Amino acid sequence: MAQAVSTQPWEKPVSAESERQKLAVKGRGRWKFLVGGLLILAAVGYLVISGTLSGARFFITVDELLADPAYVGQTVRIAGAVIGDTIAQDGDSITFTIAHIPKNTNNLGESLHLAANDTSATRLVVTYEGAKPDLLQHEAQAILSGTLDENGVFHANELLLKCPSRFQEGSSDASLGAAEPPQS
Amino acid sequence: MLAEIGFVSVFLAFVAALYAVAAATYSGRIHSERLLLSARNAALATFPLLLIAALALWIALIRGDYQINYVRSVTDPQTPLFYRITALWGSQRGSILFWALLMSVFAFAALLSTWKSDRRLMPGVIAYTMAVLAFFLFLIIFLENPFERVWVRDLPSGEIGIVDSVLIPPDVRAPPEQRLVENSQGLNPLLRHFGMVVHPPMLYLGFVGFTIPFAFAMAALASGDLSTNWIKATRRWTLIAWLFLSLGLLLGGRWAYDVLGWGGYWGWDPVENAAFLPWLLGTAFLHSVMIQEKRGMLKVWNMFLIIGTFSAVIFATFATRSGLVDSVHSFARSSIGMPMFLFWAGITLISVALILWRRSRGELRDEHHNTGLLSRETMFVLNNVIFVALTAAIFWGSFGAPIFSELFLDSEITLGQEYFLQVTPPLFLALFILMGVAPVTAWGATSLARLGRTLLIPLVLTVAFVILLIVTGTSNLVALIGYGFVSMAGFVALYEIWRGAAARIRTHHENPLQATASLFTRNRRRYGGYIVHLGITILGIGVIGSTIFQTERQVTIQRGETIAVNDTYQMRYDNFTEAIAEDGRLMEISQITVFKNGNEVAQLRPRIDNFPDMPMTIAGAHSTLENDFYVLLIGWEEVNYSAATFRVYINPLINLVWLGGLILMLGTIISAWPNEIVPARVTKSIPAGIGATA
Repeated sequence: MAQAVSTQPWEKPVSAESERQKLAVKGRGRWKFLVGGLLILAAVGYLVISGTLSGARFFITVDELLADPAYVGQTVRIAGAVIGDTIAQDGDSITFTIAHIPKNTNNLGESLHLAANDTSATRLVVTYEGAKPDLLQHEAQAILSGTLDENGVFHANELLLKCPSRFQEGSSDASLGAAEPPQS
Repeated sequence: MLAEIGFVSVFLAFVAALYAVAAATYSGRIHSERLLLSARNAALATFPLLLIAALALWIALIRGDYQINYVRSVTDPQTPLFYRITALWGSQRGSILFWALLMSVFAFAALLSTWKSDRRLMPGVIAYTMAVLAFFLFLIIFLENPFERVWVRDLPSGEIGIVDSVLIPPDVRAPPEQRLVENSQGLNPLLRHFGMVVHPPMLYLGFVGFTIPFAFAMAALASGDLSTNWIKATRRWTLIAWLFLSLGLLLGGRWAYDVLGWGGYWGWDPVENAAFLPWLLGTAFLHSVMIQEKRGMLKVWNMFLIIGTFSAVIFATFATRSGLVDSVHSFARSSIGMPMFLFWAGITLISVALILWRRSRGELRDEHHNTGLLSRETMFVLNNVIFVALTAAIFWGSFGAPIFSELFLDSEITLGQEYFLQVTPPLFLALFILMGVAPVTAWGATSLARLGRTLLIPLVLTVAFVILLIVTGTSNLVALIGYGFVSMAGFVALYEIWRGAAARIRTHHENPLQATASLFTRNRRRYGGYIVHLGITILGIGVIGSTIFQTERQVTIQRGETIAVNDTYQMRYDNFTEAIAEDGRLMEISQITVFKNGNEVAQLRPRIDNFPDMPMTIAGAHSTLENDFYVLLIGWEEVNYSAATFRVYINPLINLVWLGGLILMLGTIISAWPNEIVPARVTKSIPAGIGATA
């Protein structure tokens, strides 16, 4: 077939051949880039998915953690209000108790205060390997990653603390002159 | 009076910015030079106006005008002058004003320096920079006013009402001074650190700085001048923004290391990550614009990158301010959350729409297509892909997964540090490999054999370095692989500098010092870039060393006793004192002596500062290039301080992180340094002038 085409004088076989070659080169180049791109995408996708699966922590409340036995031994993330009297340094680790705080409260400072002083709120004993952080104090919000053991003790390997009541910008304090709280 | 001056200035700046947006946009349409000039002058006026506003707040902070709520929330009578000045960015309201001030400074400088050379882009540049500024001024005026004062109103019932207002409302009186002072709060003790004082301004300068290339890119799209003019005009601005952003990130890390007392500098915290995202995209942008300048390729991609960078800047600002990092719910409750989200989404959508419009008209077509698989272009594209992948992965880990699960799965899933430690190292390693290979590849195509020949010397050096590490006792395989690839990038940078200098020595018969100096003056951008690569390499080695080989140990020591911390280091607990600092904090100070192989090397004083309601652990550290001996005071025997407990961290190579950071900055400054040869600008202004009069 190729021979038949090349015998026609108006076909300009040489240039057509080089054109085809050019196209082929371009096509092959694109194909390489495409495969390379897909490989990179697959590698990054694999990294992110496997990282997500191994790094994912369910963020649950103390009540939810204790209500479902399926959570025992599983790494989870919980938040609770620290009860100041219970903080004790024991060699390399510290123990303290946290109280359940409800999810999505409007005023974190207030709900921390309520939870830490409410004896009926669910409590959980926590141990943490490491130095006592500065912010670990009464009514602080502790955000912990770790596992619950069969004895109901939570072993934290990550401890984050927040004290919402302090150094927060807000509107004026009621004590500036009023007996009634300000309308905010 | 100060509050009124400040508020009125902000308001006038807001009006000026809005006018500038409208006038600049309209002048572009009717080609009116006079209107454009008027728009420019309005834009320039925002800087002095905001300076007056900031000065008013500064004076209020220094004088202790506690009736202003912001002043009361960040200072108290004990606050020293230095922290009164820095209190301007000590909390949200003031820092938005500071942000706006810096934005107006950058706009002022950029408009003046490019006014003559890039006239055709000016309508768009003015409109975009001023729209961004106007949005922040809107936040100040309507939602987060730093000039708001507190007033007391006597109600008919005999009770007293509290009113927060900037201007004086009717029937009110100022609260008693005594009460105001009692209610004042000092600056958060955690923020009383040099790193924290300088870190926010640097970060803001970086953030604000990226607005300039972004505005120029959008101006290019709007005006139709899709040449590389916008890239050339903003190259230095991009580098300056990048420099400040890098400095801001490094200082933030240094602050965490010195103040937070956990022995590390980067915790993959969402707030840190939010500031890292624009850095990653900005770095990708810095690289990929080179391809457009040299080869006229990747036009659409570069536009997307600068939009992405700016979008990440706005995202970082609003995510950290609106409480989005805590949860979607606290974001919804924040007063500035929704407006900031709408602004972010709006500006991103408009920008993307502009690109798609120009692209559909076929105006963003690349000038070259054919390129070999093994070419500088491919390396740059790969570099970009990895940077964008890193950005996406970090975004997903810090914001994507938690928000997605909270909104759609009805449970909250967060990704811990494990996620980042698993996902990011391979990607960073890929970047270092590219950093090693890309500089020696040629534009267009390189053959594998030629690439191998040029890489031979750096490869030999790398292998020698790794063998040296093995001989000196490093046996961790992951660390060796990391050190190997990272150091190769540095050797390539050094080799390229050496090659350039050697060529000059041969052809110009200069001595080595002269040759290197003229290399750097002739091609600042390229060789400055290699210095940046060298800095990143050193930083990378520091990160690998301090991450993989950090050791920590808790010890309790009797007074006078010496114990061995590890095979090399011993420490002795000497003494314990209490002292009260000027600002009223009680300091509990331990004194220890550190020995290395039995020889005394340092005396450290790890201590605990008790601010009212807030203790702060201040580490003692003995820093050498080899490592940091970093000690925290944990506890002590109440009776006679006869024993104390310490937590000791040994952080190998951590000082290379800071040293690498310094080299990186030096390289960026070399790259951004203005050339003395001016004629380039004159030739550039001719087509721009024609464009303006047409």
